[in-house]
Amino acid sequence: MVVMVLVVQALLMPPLFFVLDHAVKRTMTDNFVDDVRLYSQVFVNEFSIMPDPGDRDAVVELLDAAMLGGHSSYAALQIGDELVASSLMGDAELADFREDFAFGDHGDSVYYLSAAVDFTPPMKILRLGFDERPLQESLASIRRVALSVAAIFLVLSVGVMGIVSSSIVQPLKRLRRASRAISSGNVEVELESTSDLVEIQGLTKDLEAMRRDLVGMNLRLQQEMKERELADAERRGMEGYLRQAQRLESLGTLAGGVAHEFNNVLQPIMLYTELALEDVPKGTPASINLKRVLELANRAKGLSRQILTFGRSEDSSEFQSVDLRPIVHEAVTMIRALLPATIDIRMEIGVDIGRVNCDPSQIKQLIVNLCNNAYRALSRPDDHIAIALNEVIISPDAAGRNANLSPGEYVVLSVADTGEGMDEETVQRVFEPFFTTRDIGDGTGLGLSVVHGIVVRHQGDIMIESNPGKGTRVRVYLPLAEDVAD
Amino acid sequence: MARILVIDDEQYIRTALREVLEREGFEVSAASNGKQGLAMLEDQGADLVITDVIMPGMDGVATLERIKAAHPDIPVIVISGGGNIAPQDYEPGAIATSAYLASASRAGASCTLTKPFNRAELMSAVSGLLSA
Repeated sequence: MVVMVLVVQALLMPPLFFVLDHAVKRTMTDNFVDDVRLYSQVFVNEFSIMPDPGDRDAVVELLDAAMLGGHSSYAALQIGDELVASSLMGDAELADFREDFAFGDHGDSVYYLSAAVDFTPPMKILRLGFDERPLQESLASIRRVALSVAAIFLVLSVGVMGIVSSSIVQPLKRLRRASRAISSGNVEVELESTSDLVEIQGLTKDLEAMRRDLVGMNLRLQQEMKERELADAERRGMEGYLRQAQRLESLGTLAGGVAHEFNNVLQPIMLYTELALEDVPKGTPASINLKRVLELANRAKGLSRQILTFGRSEDSSEFQSVDLRPIVHEAVTMIRALLPATIDIRMEIGVDIGRVNCDPSQIKQLIVNLCNNAYRALSRPDDHIAIALNEVIISPDAAGRNANLSPGEYVVLSVADTGEGMDEETVQRVFEPFFTTRDIGDGTGLGLSVVHGIVVRHQGDIMIESNPGKGTRVRVYLPLAEDVAD
Repeated sequence: MARILVIDDEQYIRTALREVLEREGFEVSAASNGKQGLAMLEDQGADLVITDVIMPGMDGVATLERIKAAHPDIPVIVISGGGNIAPQDYEPGAIATSAYLASASRAGASCTLTKPFNRAELMSAVSGLLSA
């Protein structure tokens, strides 16, 4: 905008200058011409009223007076063919006369004019010349003044525009850039006034206040959204956990009912088989087969015990405050004896582990079951099982994400393998009784159900992380016993 | 010869127990529910009672309480299907078996056995109670 104003000024300035210059020049030269014509007329009159037109001395005297009375540089009277000149002029100049019709004609710096005094012969014509230079000089000086005024005006207007630009236009531009940035989402741009103008400073202050409000509101909204998302995630997590817990509970109820009936069937099978065994001679095929029936009945009994272990929830009569380290060692020793010697089992037991209220035999069972699963998952020669025991503190923040854990101190038993891993769908179902990925007859689908039952009974939690192809890590959280003092 | 009364709603458990105990030389009578069992106890008497804990009608604990009220000296073995889960046909909220067993102990059961038990387990419990 500033540049536009300057361009318009620059474009308008020359025509304006020329129009003014022309008008001044025209007025002044017209005045000059009028003046000299009036002056000539005065002398024409003088000559026409001369008492003796033939008196040459009087003529010369009058011509001299014409020379002296004005700016004349030439004065002569033509009488017929004779030319009488002023005595103040040289003869050489006499021939210079060239009639001018406008100021500045012929470029001779003299304005020549002739005026008839008497038309009766001998015809008398007064010829006068006036110096044009003074007027030309004053015209030139006027032009110089006008030019310098114009130059000063230009300089001043550039200066004013500069001030306008720096104190109004630039600050406004900056404000506009900042408000665009804000409207496009970058609300962190601070609005600062660089102008000395009170109005612009006020405007900037108001806009900055608006921006701060906006930023504050934005932050509040973001905060609220984050909180809501967190709450949603927590609720979803909790819902998922509750669904899982309900499903496991109803499965436990169902499985427990089945196990009860199962035991009622197993009872007579066992006793009848023992009776029959007594009746057949030892070593006969019938005896051997009956022994097998008894063996299977005992296995079935073990199964039903496991199902009931999964379902039972409030029985904590066997609980005692114990150090888990020897229990883990004992369980691992047992597992080493059960698994092939080539299996790499690594142990990492923390030095300072607090006591846990638990049933040691159930914990051993839990470790054996987890290790058995880990072993079954191994597929490559360099795969291994890692067992770790540590203490962790669950902060109130972290507890929110783990629906089953209240804040506090826990002992974490971790059993990890580098085996096949499981997909998400499988992980979701591993605790269900009879859920198994192994071939029929190879696994009961009860191992993790039992582990889950044990964990619930110990008021702990269990978490499974698994990556197909990379392995599985099961972490069991058991709350630290409260009498830590001993 | 010692006389043993077996009370269980499962027919084959009754017959199996009867046969095992008879082979061991006991005189065995059997009832299929608590009411019948109590009547037989009044009629014929017994040195030992073996009763199931979950039965339709009068359950094992109630039966036990009645026996103990009438005959505080007769030892009673309570047998149970195990677990804390009531069978499906029981009322919702029915008391769990471990609670049954606990209340059975409170009500004066001499010992409890969890099904399935084998002959040796049964005999050690029975002979332990009868020799005392």
